[in-house]
Amino acid sequence: MPKILDRIMDAIDFETFLVCNSDEEGRKLMVQLIKEWGFKDVDIVFSQYQGPGSRIRARAYVHRSGDVYGWLELGNEE
Amino acid sequence: MSRKRVLLVPLDPVHDVGLKMIRRGLDEAGHETILLPPDLPVHEIVQEIVKQRSDTVLVSRTLGYGVAELLANFVDLLDVVGVRSKINLGIGGMAIRPELAAELGFDAGFGPGTTVEEALAFVERREYVEGSQKVVKNKRDLAEGYSYSFRHAGIQAKLNLIVDMILNWAANKTSPGVQRAAIREELWDVQRWRNYESMTDFYNEYKQYCDDLGKNYYEKGILHPKTRRFTKEEINSSEEYVRRTQEVIKTPKLQHNRTKPSVFNQYGTGCPFMDIGHIKVSEAWGADGVVHFDPSWGARTEGFLDGFLTHQEDGTVITPANLNRIKKALEESTLWQVRAHRGLNTPETIVLAGKIGADLTKINIAYGSLGAGTDPARMTVDGIWAIRYAAKYNLPFDVVTNEELCGVPAYKAFAGMLITTALGIRLGGKPILQPLFCKSPEVMVGGQMKDNYVEFNAAKIMALRQIIDAPMWPGAPVGFLTQTEDRVQSSASTAFHASLAAMLGVDAVTIASSDEAYSGGPISVPSKIDTLRAVSEAFRFFGQTPLASTPQMEVWRDSIVSGIDSVLDKIVERGDFVQSLYEGILGNREDGAYPGRNGKDTVTTI
Repeated sequence: MPKILDRIMDAIDFETFLVCNSDEEGRKLMVQLIKEWGFKDVDIVFSQYQGPGSRIRARAYVHRSGDVYGWLELGNEE
Repeated sequence: MSRKRVLLVPLDPVHDVGLKMIRRGLDEAGHETILLPPDLPVHEIVQEIVKQRSDTVLVSRTLGYGVAELLANFVDLLDVVGVRSKINLGIGGMAIRPELAAELGFDAGFGPGTTVEEALAFVERREYVEGSQKVVKNKRDLAEGYSYSFRHAGIQAKLNLIVDMILNWAANKTSPGVQRAAIREELWDVQRWRNYESMTDFYNEYKQYCDDLGKNYYEKGILHPKTRRFTKEEINSSEEYVRRTQEVIKTPKLQHNRTKPSVFNQYGTGCPFMDIGHIKVSEAWGADGVVHFDPSWGARTEGFLDGFLTHQEDGTVITPANLNRIKKALEESTLWQVRAHRGLNTPETIVLAGKIGADLTKINIAYGSLGAGTDPARMTVDGIWAIRYAAKYNLPFDVVTNEELCGVPAYKAFAGMLITTALGIRLGGKPILQPLFCKSPEVMVGGQMKDNYVEFNAAKIMALRQIIDAPMWPGAPVGFLTQTEDRVQSSASTAFHASLAAMLGVDAVTIASSDEAYSGGPISVPSKIDTLRAVSEAFRFFGQTPLASTPQMEVWRDSIVSGIDSVLDKIVERGDFVQSLYEGILGNREDGAYPGRNGKDTVTTI
């Protein structure tokens, strides 16, 4: 995992507006996009489809509870 | 400190508000200030500097097209007339950064968010010590100043009868939970435990009153399947993280000009390290207190495990080591609540929390029995001892009314809350009333929130105030069942409810994160910041504005008070509080309340 991602305390959220034809399509495209960026633990937190597309927020968990957290290892770096 | 002659120069065409604020601070500090009109030509400004024999010149200017050139010309002209080296020259404004100011030939640059104190330090040519002006928060006693006297004589008389009824019923009864609490109280010495001294006498006695989970742990070292121990490396890293964070953290105040309500949020990610991460962020964004959430299975097991354990699902396991680590990570001003309200470890939780240094706890016999799955007889016996220990350890406790979320009407939930409150007062405790600010099933069906969320919630507070002079802590979290997965909506709703609480003058609120309604994974720390920021803005917006009473609030207030009165009548008539719980007087199956079964038949006669 790249070092900068280690600094994410728990999750990274991505929020945008996707031009799409349905809520379902928006959700599918968003998950696909975040997975293409290399994140594995991905979910849609919120989606609101209206007319032109979806206002949508996806989340990728970088550190889940019980994991070994990269940000705890940063003590000696600077 | 010698008096400085300071020239304030708004180079912007119109904006000089920042300079006016700084001028006020400089004047108050005894310096001589002159504020020039906005947008003078550069050569006129230089003439003024020479004429006024200024020590310090503070320029304000927002960066934009051609501005860098203008500022460079200004500095050059000061050089040409021979005053640049004699003055202290600073610039502030949007997009100004110290590095950029230095490039342009200024001695200092101040960006957005610069405080008057920073400008003053520059004028006085002394180092600005960041944090020297930070608000120092003190830990508040939420129960301070309340008399706990009743204002409604009829309700007081009925509560007294019911408290007698409860204490008489329980006088010769005990339970494994009460016995474990007594063993924890007598044999578990927190200092010995912290010094890693042998506690064999405690463990040998204690495990006899645990169920298989506890016995397997203490006899065979087997952990709950969803938990694991931390490694030494993880522990060292965590200690280092806490040390570094505590060195730099500031704890801002959210309430603007108010002293209350204290703002709490909840943690319970499953992992004490992640919890500590969340707590430190919450403190840094203004939370006054944090609430420990344990896993739901913790309420159904007899006895606590020990060790420093992480858990892979929601809820952080209560063990001495977990609580102790979390306690050590807290800022001095942070209030810490360890909940004990609903399960088979209720009295022992309080003993443990008290010994480790919690500030607050949570107890409600009625909710624990009707909404949280514990057998009413067991919950009553354990609840009495929980209150006794809370009094001993000076832990004020909120009396939660979450059975409203099951569908129990507010007046019934409040009757249960007031019974636990009266019992608490009798036993020397400091109960804090916790009405919900929520869109409960009662109002969804009854339409009390069809127009607004204000009046019914306000009526709850007004009703309780008509009955008793006691602290209040709406929760938990405020706005329950109004928040959605949309973080803007969720943060706004939380902020509105917190502001309502502030305008009603209550003592504390518990707030959700903006992803409270998202069920697909753990809540995230930026979502906690969302609602802390929203609440802070809302408190700033409303300031000390009070909330006016409306006729509708008064109608609902009176209806709640008479509803409480009628429930208490029925319990007095029944003559048995525990049977009243089983029979649904404080919430029945139709309401959505079911007498719990955990710990059934475990109450024994002494």
